[in-house]
Amino acid sequence: MKIISSYSIKGGVGKTALAVNLAFAFHETGRRTLLLDLDPQGAAAFYFRVGNAKKLNMDDSRTIAADLRKNIRESDFPGLDIIPSNLAYRHFDVILNGMSKSRKQLRKVLDEFRSDYDTILMDCPPNITLLSENVFRASDAIMVPVIPTVLSQRTLEQLFSFFRDEELSCDMLHPFFSMAQKINKMHREIIEELPQAYPGFLKTVIPFSVNVEKMGIRRMPLLAYSNNCEAALAYRSLCNEIISITKSDPHS
Amino acid sequence: MKAGLPQNRNSRLMLSGKLPCELLQNHYQVSISRHEQTALTFWDTFEWGMWFGGYLLYSSENIYHLCKLKDGWLGDEICSEVTDILPRFKEDFKTGRMQKILTGILGIRGLATVFEGTLNQLQLEIRNDYGKIICRLDCSTISSKRAGNEKPPYSCCRVTPLMGYEAESGNIIKLLARYQTDESQEGPLELLFKQMGRKPCRYTLRPVFGLDFKTPAREATGKIVRSILSIALSNLPGLLSDIDTEFLHDYRICIRKIRSLLALIKGVYPDGAVSDIRTQLGEMARSTNRLRDLDVYLLARGEYLEMLPPQLRPALYSMFDEVAAERKLEVKNLVLDIQSAAYQNTIEGIESFFSETEMHGPSLSADIPVGQLVFRQMYRRYKKICRMARAIDAYTADEMLHQLRIECKKLRYLMEFFRELIDDTDIVAMQKILRSLQEILGEFNDTSVQQKTILGYFNSKRDDIDIALGIGGLVSILYYRRQQSRRRIVKVLNSFCGKGMSVVFKRNFKQKKLNPKV
Ligand SMILES: Nc1ncnc2c1ncn2[C@@H]1O[C@H](COP(=O)(O)OP(=O)(O)OP(=O)(O)O)[C@@H](O)[C@H]1O
Ligand SMILES: [Mg+2]
Repeated sequence: MKIISSYSIKGGVGKTALAVNLAFAFHETGRRTLLLDLDPQGAAAFYFRVGNAKKLNMDDSRTIAADLRKNIRESDFPGLDIIPSNLAYRHFDVILNGMSKSRKQLRKVLDEFRSDYDTILMDCPPNITLLSENVFRASDAIMVPVIPTVLSQRTLEQLFSFFRDEELSCDMLHPFFSMAQKINKMHREIIEELPQAYPGFLKTVIPFSVNVEKMGIRRMPLLAYSNNCEAALAYRSLCNEIISITKSDPHS
Repeated sequence: MKAGLPQNRNSRLMLSGKLPCELLQNHYQVSISRHEQTALTFWDTFEWGMWFGGYLLYSSENIYHLCKLKDGWLGDEICSEVTDILPRFKEDFKTGRMQKILTGILGIRGLATVFEGTLNQLQLEIRNDYGKIICRLDCSTISSKRAGNEKPPYSCCRVTPLMGYEAESGNIIKLLARYQTDESQEGPLELLFKQMGRKPCRYTLRPVFGLDFKTPAREATGKIVRSILSIALSNLPGLLSDIDTEFLHDYRICIRKIRSLLALIKGVYPDGAVSDIRTQLGEMARSTNRLRDLDVYLLARGEYLEMLPPQLRPALYSMFDEVAAERKLEVKNLVLDIQSAAYQNTIEGIESFFSETEMHGPSLSADIPVGQLVFRQMYRRYKKICRMARAIDAYTADEMLHQLRIECKKLRYLMEFFRELIDDTDIVAMQKILRSLQEILGEFNDTSVQQKTILGYFNSKRDDIDIALGIGGLVSILYYRRQQSRRRIVKVLNSFCGKGMSVVFKRNFKQKKLNPKV
């Protein structure tokens, strides 16, 4: 089982779009996939027409896992399940905190799902909290959407330095370009230069596409309704990159 | 085309009539995700072995599907096999699981069609107000070919809730449950089969006749004859279409049983008529003798060939081919025979003679309690067998053993007819030893007949050295087996006639002298 998270300090960069479409792409490869929506806004679940989760009742990693399990919703696509978000996740931090201040607590929780899924994808809210630190320590790979702008460079550097300060492995961080516009000269230049400073930078570039925006109207992953457009192909290629980086095994 | 039925973890509902689609549409978004229509044929043996074994075997084009029988409908599929021939016997199926299960059920029986119709499979997706699928619904209906385009009497629905939507799906189950069929006696498939004039029923060669010791002898005889004759006749359709060899085998057994019974109940009917009927029955059985012999050979084909080293086997192929060719002719003749007016007349004559309403003149034993009549017979036969047994050793002539076998058979039939009159535990013991005695005598008989026939075949092929070798091999094995049987016969006879058994027979069948005052 591989755990992959979609994370950025910045909001509105395409984290949820990534989580939703990557989950779909993983499911297309036959991997049993779970999408865990950790953002209280609940956008990821919304794209699957799934409502909010019931209240969680958290004491320790076992009961958290059991409570999460009760909230699993089967998506319309067999083999792809979702745990929708819950406003109580705001308190996830506090609970994890109360549990032993361990930053590895989430990993323990997710290990309970090892026999059920080949891939777990997490869609995270844009901030650094105890929850996000748990996410970092639980993940096999952290994918970071970067809009090719100067400001994004700064936030990416902030993330890397946070990792260095906390003695987290920077190797897990995999930035990639999101909402890239070829006609934009600045975009082109940043796409050219920025990856050289970061060895884990992924090759695939997700283009800006109205098809992606339409997800809100269609209420399903882009890959489910626009199978062959440029953005859809890019999400699949991103999926393949991350499969080979994490050495994810196909479902037997 | 994939025609396997959906197999899920979930609620199944049997609805009468068609799925109420409009009703669902009033409350939910409903879309069809799959719709398939396939011709299907159900297969079973004459004994309904599949059905009573809890299975269903159906074919759809050239795919055979083996399913569990569940609530009188298709249950989970166990396995399937694609075949290019029209399989009839267990050996016609080649894949492991299929062959293993069918071997247990079919034995040497052949499969025949019990139902032909159309399987209609529909899969629906049901969505809530958000457009989210909350459950999938598989619905299958079967309509019979004969009933034409009539609406199918039942729909089998399975509701599969998506994880996390069990509660919401519960409402759909509730909605459909309103259309659920009453728990009627007949299951849905049974009802369909009935449309084709077929009904699964247990088959036995040993029915219960409803007799007791005091039943008047003539009444008892009528009951037994009618019942066995109807079993004999029920085998005719299978015999005519030559589905398997058991039809003839059972038919012959029934005819011989009736004949044997009629010999044992002298005085129950006025003399004359009964002996004519016995002659007719004898003729009926005799005319099938040759066919039965040929069947026995062909059934033993594999066993025979295995007795020989592989290099000698091919020489015997032609022998079996000749047997098979002759068998074909015999079947043809028998079919003509059975379809003839003469045969029909004979059967009708026997039927009306033994019919409940037929009036016969008085006769000596018509009204005496049947127990009194037949127990005397049984004890007499037992003692006769014991007398014959005393003269038997390893050198006794074949003919003598043959006679012994016939006597045993008579006794066994009698005990079978009247087992309702006999003590439950004693009959088990008596029948058990009688059966093993008969088996071994039968084996001995078979080996002598086979040896004779094989040698006869050899006489017509004397100049073929390969055949000579093959036949030599077979004959010596058969001879060896025969000698072995002899030794075993003597042993079983000893215990059959020994003190233990003779006490049991005496206790049950030896009657006290009737009180002369009565
Ligand atoms: N490649 C793309 N092309 C065009 N629009 C996109 C693309 N990716 C995302 N969007 C749109 O941009 C908006 C923000 O995207 P998204 O919700 O995925 O970002 P986010 O990082 O998850 O945001 P938040 O921080 O609020 O959770 C959405 O309206 C989405 O439809
Ligand atoms: Mg988001």
